[in-house]
Amino acid sequence: MKTLYIFILFIIVVCAQLFVPSQMIFQQEDVLKTGTAFKFKTQPVDPSDPFKGKYIFLNYEASTFSTADTTWQRNEDVYVTIKHDSLGFVQVTQVTKNEPKSEFYIKAKVDWYNEFEKELNIVYPFNKFYMDETKAYNAELAHMKAQQDSIPNNTYALVFIKNGKAVLDNVFINEIPIAKYVEK
Amino acid sequence: MNSKLIKELPELIENKVISKEVALSIEQYYHSKQNNSPNKLFMVFGVLGSILVGLGIILILAHNWDDFTRSTKTIFAFLPLLIGQFFVGFSILKKKSATWKEASGTFLFFAVGASISLVAQIYNIPGNMSSFLLTWILLCLPLIYLLKSNSIMILHLVFITWYACSYGYSFMNYSNSPWLYLALLALSLPHYWQLLIHKLDANITSIINWLVPLSLIITLGAFVEHEEALGFLLYLLLFSLFYNIGKIPYFENQKLRRNGFLITGSLGIVIILLIASFRWLWKDIIRIDSFQVQELYMSAVLFLMSILTLVYLYLKHKVKSFNIFQFVFVIFTVLFFIGINNEMVPAILVNMLIFALGVVTVKIGADKFHFGVLNYGLLIIAALVTCRFFDTDMSFVLRGLLFVGVGVGFFLTNYYMLKKQKSKTNSLKQ
Repeated sequence: MKTLYIFILFIIVVCAQLFVPSQMIFQQEDVLKTGTAFKFKTQPVDPSDPFKGKYIFLNYEASTFSTADTTWQRNEDVYVTIKHDSLGFVQVTQVTKNEPKSEFYIKAKVDWYNEFEKELNIVYPFNKFYMDETKAYNAELAHMKAQQDSIPNNTYALVFIKNGKAVLDNVFINEIPIAKYVEK
Repeated sequence: MNSKLIKELPELIENKVISKEVALSIEQYYHSKQNNSPNKLFMVFGVLGSILVGLGIILILAHNWDDFTRSTKTIFAFLPLLIGQFFVGFSILKKKSATWKEASGTFLFFAVGASISLVAQIYNIPGNMSSFLLTWILLCLPLIYLLKSNSIMILHLVFITWYACSYGYSFMNYSNSPWLYLALLALSLPHYWQLLIHKLDANITSIINWLVPLSLIITLGAFVEHEEALGFLLYLLLFSLFYNIGKIPYFENQKLRRNGFLITGSLGIVIILLIASFRWLWKDIIRIDSFQVQELYMSAVLFLMSILTLVYLYLKHKVKSFNIFQFVFVIFTVLFFIGINNEMVPAILVNMLIFALGVVTVKIGADKFHFGVLNYGLLIIAALVTCRFFDTDMSFVLRGLLFVGVGVGFFLTNYYMLKKQKSKTNSLKQ
């Protein structure tokens, strides 16, 4: 009898253990399927994470925002309202401390405020792109090369946005997914 | 150990030390004992194997297999988790041995972490380390009780410490206090309590006797946010509490090396006091701007807990003789608050206090015939003299004489003890 009770409790634990990753997947899939795509111009570099492996760290051009407001605190939650520019790339229209009513916004964190340039630096929650460990370093090299050729702003991250949640789908160099680009 | 004893038996019978009957019953006793206890070695290897396989799976998955589609990768993320859950469920239902439970539980622990981090990797969720660790810890916490697993208890202690550090300590950022750490620690204490009651002599209990205080020592600093000076007081209060906990019969009656609370407490007290024996500390560091801070409330709580432990010890008649180590926290707290406005008085009194602690330790060592404790006391005095070597204006001759004095002290006390021990064994022989 006692074993049965323990087993029932264990089944509850099992459900919780399965629920957490499943819920993570459903949330992300939902944003990917029903969210809106934005392109973020970027510069990748490659560090690594002990649990999740090699990734490229993405520095976005859209991570600075000019504002005269100086009351920003490090690591504070902020809401970044965005829109598409004429080429489909992202453009930051405003940064607020409260949730905006607009359709497209991202919950991000304050990195620091540059008082000299009057610029706010933002950390987006999608600044890591995990890659095959053999490809991450090559991806960084490929990106450096692509930056040097004649076409400007040819590296971007494709991010899906829905209700403040953002999911990074892929990173492109010259319109080719970075993993494929590296293989060439 | 047992097999060694059994091997000696024929020789003992031959030399007529014991009779054949006694030898037989000794042999039977150890055989029956062996049958009752599970094979420890097997358990250790089972757990080690699980840890290695679990970590290996995390690393293999971290390769990030580009060739698989997102959905295939997602299935792989669940695979180790399901395997782990199957084996744990199997060992619960079939009432398998502790070895099974420990090994499968350890594997499941790592499988949970592997699947969460793999999903995060597939969808490029950076997250932060502390919230990842928190989810992981919470999902595995019930396993401690469901499997009565000691290895998961140890992993739990290690991981909550890691969580507290990654949440509470940060450079450049304004940091937060990891209050949840205390809750997580408290949730694992009932298991520790069970161990203390039922398996006081087991090796696993002494490992946890060390891990609990070490974890608290590492984490306490994360709670210091506003008034760093109070951190000194907090640490001394924590070490004093450990010392007093180490005097509770459960711990006191064991071998000294199993008593992590007493040793960390004693060493910690001496180190904090040695730092506080310098005048510059009181002059430059011990300054408080505001008293309305959490550090002060935490100090009050630790102070009260030490008092309560002392009262408990007194009621159990364990405070037989006056041991100044047990009351250091009261003296230091008073000195600390004098020290906010005054630098000379506390510095001098702390020096005297350390000297007193050294003398008391030497006396305890001599009374108990424990060479380790005796020399530890002498080391305290030697450390004090060394510290004063640097910052006093004493003449070199005087300093030299002090060192010679302490050195001679080492020789004389040890010689005296050895002699006393010899005469004691001689009197036993006669």
